[in-house]
Amino acid sequence: MKGHVKSWFRSRSTIFWTIAFPVLLILLFGSIFGGGSSKFDLYVQNQDLNVSVSPPAPTQLSQAYVKALGDTGAFNVLTVSADVSDPLSFVRNDARLHNRGQRLLVVPSGFNSTLSIGQPVNVTLFMDQTDQASASLAGIVSAVTSAFAGQGPPILNVQQISIVTQRIRYIDFFIPGVIGMTLLTSGVFGAVSTNGRYRELKIIKKLATTPLSKVEWILGMIGYQMFLAAISITVILAVGRFVFNVTATIDIYTIALVAAAALLFPGIGMVLANFVKDADGAEAAANAITFPMMFLAGTFWPRETMPDFLKTAAGYLPLTYVNDGLRDAMIYLDPARALNNTIITLGLALLFVVLGSVLMNWKEE
Amino acid sequence: MLGSSQEPIVEVESLTKKYDTLLAVDSISFQIGKGNVFAFLGPNGAGKTTTVEILECLRTPTSGRATVLGYDVSQRSAQAEIRKRIGVLPQDFNAIDRLTVRENIDYFGAMFDSSLDADELIELVDLKEKRDEQFKKLSGGLKQRVGLAVSLVNDPQLVFLDEPTTGLDPKARRDVWKIVEQLKRRGKTIFLTTHYMDEAEYLADTVSIIDHGKIIASGTPGQLIDSHGGRKTLVIRGIGGEGMDLLPRDLPKAELKSAGDIHIPINNGADVSRILIAIGQTSLGTHEIEVRRPTLDDVFLNLTGRRVTEEGELA
Repeated sequence: MKGHVKSWFRSRSTIFWTIAFPVLLILLFGSIFGGGSSKFDLYVQNQDLNVSVSPPAPTQLSQAYVKALGDTGAFNVLTVSADVSDPLSFVRNDARLHNRGQRLLVVPSGFNSTLSIGQPVNVTLFMDQTDQASASLAGIVSAVTSAFAGQGPPILNVQQISIVTQRIRYIDFFIPGVIGMTLLTSGVFGAVSTNGRYRELKIIKKLATTPLSKVEWILGMIGYQMFLAAISITVILAVGRFVFNVTATIDIYTIALVAAAALLFPGIGMVLANFVKDADGAEAAANAITFPMMFLAGTFWPRETMPDFLKTAAGYLPLTYVNDGLRDAMIYLDPARALNNTIITLGLALLFVVLGSVLMNWKEE
Repeated sequence: MLGSSQEPIVEVESLTKKYDTLLAVDSISFQIGKGNVFAFLGPNGAGKTTTVEILECLRTPTSGRATVLGYDVSQRSAQAEIRKRIGVLPQDFNAIDRLTVRENIDYFGAMFDSSLDADELIELVDLKEKRDEQFKKLSGGLKQRVGLAVSLVNDPQLVFLDEPTTGLDPKARRDVWKIVEQLKRRGKTIFLTTHYMDEAEYLADTVSIIDHGKIIASGTPGQLIDSHGGRKTLVIRGIGGEGMDLLPRDLPKAELKSAGDIHIPINNGADVSRILIAIGQTSLGTHEIEVRRPTLDDVFLNLTGRRVTEEGELA
């Protein structure tokens, strides 16, 4: 018993799986789903302005309506200025930029005056019907609206308009995430464990006594990881296509992004490998890096459901750019955003590969 | 100390390596002649591997000078030339687990512009039957033979073997020795580090003994034994304490050792004759008697006051 405990204590990878991994899961999932603290993002444009004041300000009644929505605690109300002439486009861009839900509620001009004379008014809720939160969100907006209008005949109504142009299922969303996750795990684990194991077995020492240079070794390892990534992605896409009928677009952006990611993650692995001395430590270090990144970077579900501080953290994770870029290219067909994410991924890849190469202890100093 | 050939393959002069406060190699100097087997003998932590790794261009010396095959190990351009021409078997080396013997030889051969045929090397290390076996399935002795084959893949002029038989069983050790002997016959210069005194004595043309980073003695095994090994000993086996009383009084001082053996130091053949005649006049003559020559173990003991254990530690 004592011997087993000592052995467990000295193995960094088993410590990771028995202590750090469950703790990570609890912290991550607890932060994402726990405590009912998640709010639905809701953009609101209040077009009902009182023009008799300068500058024009929302009317009292419309302001009270928006406040009532916010007071439910169910919404993260995001104000869209009344000056924005195409609020729907604004919301699409802003929501994608900040990884928020694409939902817009427009309070029309004349809201205050029309309601005051007892005439009916329609507020318009633009919403993605494929959004899993849409049903509950629409329900809450309707309930708040009814309550705000008071008893009697309904004079304040919610008109729902779908903003979906392409029906996206969860599996469509999931497949690019799986590709990103595969690139992450095979790249980081491949580089870290190959370095750790080869160092332990003295293979790197042996190679350092041959004419092979450090740069040649690194390029060879990256080429190998790219080859593995190509095989893996082919299999993922084939299963997605033939089992779930996922028709993901494979264009130049997808290929460029996969190539950049296949460079980036071994690069991160190479940097990590410099801080571990053996295969055991290598595995623990790779786990510690890949697992949080996998869950936070929107691999399995949209990041919208996460608390703000996790969303902010996700913005600094390399996998976020890979996942977002792959979805932009393969699912949302948004080349401009795909290119943007590809450039960021490529920049990070070059940074990590160069850093990993400089740090790598090829000789035995 | 060049040995049989006077053409130096390795020249080391006042070589020093310091890590912070630890002086790993302390101003050592030696030379190795072409075609020689040079044994660097010492306990674990004496500075053997550090020295070898400086010569293999893996470490930078703190001071002093070392040339390998005429190239200065401190010069970057020279290091590339050295790497092309040396073969290295690092201590505790393992090849790639899931590659076969032949695939491993080919893998490491690909690191050089030209390499020897894998089958030729497999034959040299007597692994024909294991040619297509994965490395991970081989025994320790066979793995070490793969390591030797890999170290020879570029047909090197100089081969560094760092503790090549550590952890092997006696038969596997002998098999490695045979391969080293074959390499010597092929004219290779061999730099062998070991803590096994018998290995150095059996294989080496010249030996340098290193302790605490300093070379404390150099020479051929015979020279070292003659200079530092002490006297030969006449051993009477299993006679026990009672036999001590039966020995003639005018013999050199005898010592009773474990297993009941009596050791009597001798200076020359005349001493042996005198002792044998004296013993013949007693009842001790029926016991097994042998003349024991000092070994490098005795040399190390006499020079440092300690012995080196099987594991390479000081006792």
